[in-house]
Amino acid sequence: MNNQTPLAIDVRDVTKTYSMGSLEVQALSGVTFTIARGEYVAVMGPSGSGKSTLMNVLGCLDRATTGSYRLDGVDVSELDDNRLAEIRLRKLGFVFQGFNLLARTDALKNVALPLFYAGVPGRERTAAAQRQLAEVGLGDRAHHKPNELSGGQQQRVAIARALVNDPAVLLADEPTGNLDSKTSEEIMALFATLNARGRTIILVSHDEGVANHAQRIIRLRDGLIVSDGPPAGR
Amino acid sequence: MIYFEEALRVLFANKVRSLLTMTGLIIGVGAVIAIQVLGSSMAGAVNGALGNMADNSFIVAPNGVQGNFRRAAIKLTDITAIEQDVPNIEQGIPLGGQNFLIQNGHHQARYFLTPDSSQPFNDSPLLYGRRFTSSDIADATNVAVISYRSYQKLFPHGGDPTGRSIYAGIHRYVVVGVLAAPKRGFINAQFGGDITIPYTTYVNQYVHDGVAGAARFIVADASRMNLTEIAVMKQLKVLHGNQKGLQYQTFDKSQLTKGINGIFGVLTIVVALIGAVSLVVAGIGVMNIMLVSVTERTREIGVRKAIGARRGQILAQFFIEALLLCGFGCGMGLAIGLSIGWIVNQFAIVKVTGYVAPLPWVESLLIAGAFTIVVTLAFGTYPAYRAARLDPIEALRYE
Ligand SMILES: Nc1ncnc2c1ncn2[C@@H]1O[C@H](COP(=O)(O)OP(=O)(O)O)[C@@H](O)[C@H]1O
Ligand SMILES: [Mg+2]
Repeated sequence: MNNQTPLAIDVRDVTKTYSMGSLEVQALSGVTFTIARGEYVAVMGPSGSGKSTLMNVLGCLDRATTGSYRLDGVDVSELDDNRLAEIRLRKLGFVFQGFNLLARTDALKNVALPLFYAGVPGRERTAAAQRQLAEVGLGDRAHHKPNELSGGQQQRVAIARALVNDPAVLLADEPTGNLDSKTSEEIMALFATLNARGRTIILVSHDEGVANHAQRIIRLRDGLIVSDGPPAGR
Repeated sequence: MIYFEEALRVLFANKVRSLLTMTGLIIGVGAVIAIQVLGSSMAGAVNGALGNMADNSFIVAPNGVQGNFRRAAIKLTDITAIEQDVPNIEQGIPLGGQNFLIQNGHHQARYFLTPDSSQPFNDSPLLYGRRFTSSDIADATNVAVISYRSYQKLFPHGGDPTGRSIYAGIHRYVVVGVLAAPKRGFINAQFGGDITIPYTTYVNQYVHDGVAGAARFIVADASRMNLTEIAVMKQLKVLHGNQKGLQYQTFDKSQLTKGINGIFGVLTIVVALIGAVSLVVAGIGVMNIMLVSVTERTREIGVRKAIGARRGQILAQFFIEALLLCGFGCGMGLAIGLSIGWIVNQFAIVKVTGYVAPLPWVESLLIAGAFTIVVTLAFGTYPAYRAARLDPIEALRYE
């Protein structure tokens, strides 16, 4: 890793305005924060407070309306679509609430997909994907299709896919939202393990119990940060 | 490559839909290739049949439309006059035929007895013996060259019949040659006469009024055939006193070939039209189903983009899906077209013409390949472009 830029994320005065015809909705009204390498941050807030919007900006899926965003030392505010795709591919891993695995495609091929887009040759791809699956505890489910896996297992496959390109930051928008509490605990334990191994994680949740796994909680309301600090329990 | 693997998975997951989409291509390509196979085997058959026709001679006859046919009939004296006066003419041979019961002992059959020269009209190969020599012509000898089928009928026990005699009425002819078996079919069988004798002999024995009706002229230089034909027709009019309404016509191999090629030219245009129409119709079907596919998989496209797929990679995925769809369709069309062409060829054309045409593999493959490429490019590009252009966030939100 690049030790000259210890900050994984550096966001300044970021706003996001959606315009729907004449109506303008400001989803983010100017947020500023930094996240260091190896941090585990939870983003919390009521529904509609702008959590997903923030994650989309951080995940380079969407551009901020104003403000600057540096990811792993790179200013990504002005990049074109293909450069953004490259950043998503190399520096970011995204985990969704709804898993978003490719149906009809087995776990191994799902995990290997980012490597394909990165141009990694077939054999290396399979080996790396297999390794990554083993790391999330699904080494023996490589050839199961998503519909042959439980929700928790599917989310593990999605996490393996997010990690397979060794990203600088792992982003997860309500990753346990579709899971029962026991499975949620398992997934949160997996995140904790990954963070313990040095992975930078940003996770959205509206569940205090889930958020308490993080070292730091950023709370949003109406597109603004209302608090930023360690969980109350610590 | 993964694009092909994924595209195959999608196409097989929607088997019925894929197959229905391909139907247009299958029918279009199948029809074009079937017609192409038939056209080429017909052309091959006709050229094969004409192949035995001498290309250094032409036939001249009074044109059937004129009022007084007898007045225009070509006389033996006309032929000798033309031989002498028209440049480039090497030999003039009267045409004709006499229907006879031809006998070899108690083996007998009815055939046409026809005149020929040492340079034969039908130069197919010989099974036994030789053709007429120039001394046969000069001396008007009683010899005959017989066709394969008359040989089978008159000499049922086989063996070399040269030197043996056959009888036609009061005349006896010594067999000097037997033509090799023609390729099966009536075009070849009817071509040339069954029993040919030197034309000088024929004139002596059968032409008593000096009227031949029609004639064949052998030219020295085949490249000047057309000019010679015109000169001969002109000379014939002069010989017949330039009377009003006199008309002659000529036939030669290149005329026949040209006429036949004209027919195939029309056929080619028809095929091209069918091809173009089916191409557009099938292409619209492909475009439709690809747009459906893109819409159905909007969310999947969003996921791929979120993972880091570039536009070009999404474009490639859908483009290859369209390519495979078209490729399979055209491939099946190719198989069906070749099969239909082959069946009709085997059971109709070979029976009729006796000519076994090779399947036009290369042309057919080129047609199928061209269809695949053109339809994919023209109708698969837009859906793939639409997929590549999707906004990742909106795509991910799509239900
Ligand atoms: N594509 C969009 N177009 C218009 N408004 C949007 C869009 N996405 C989000 N919003 C609005 O922005 C605000 C923040 O939404 P979001 O970030 O999804 O909130 P959260 O994830 O915290 O529930 C909401 O008021 C929402 O309606
Ligand atoms: Mg949300």
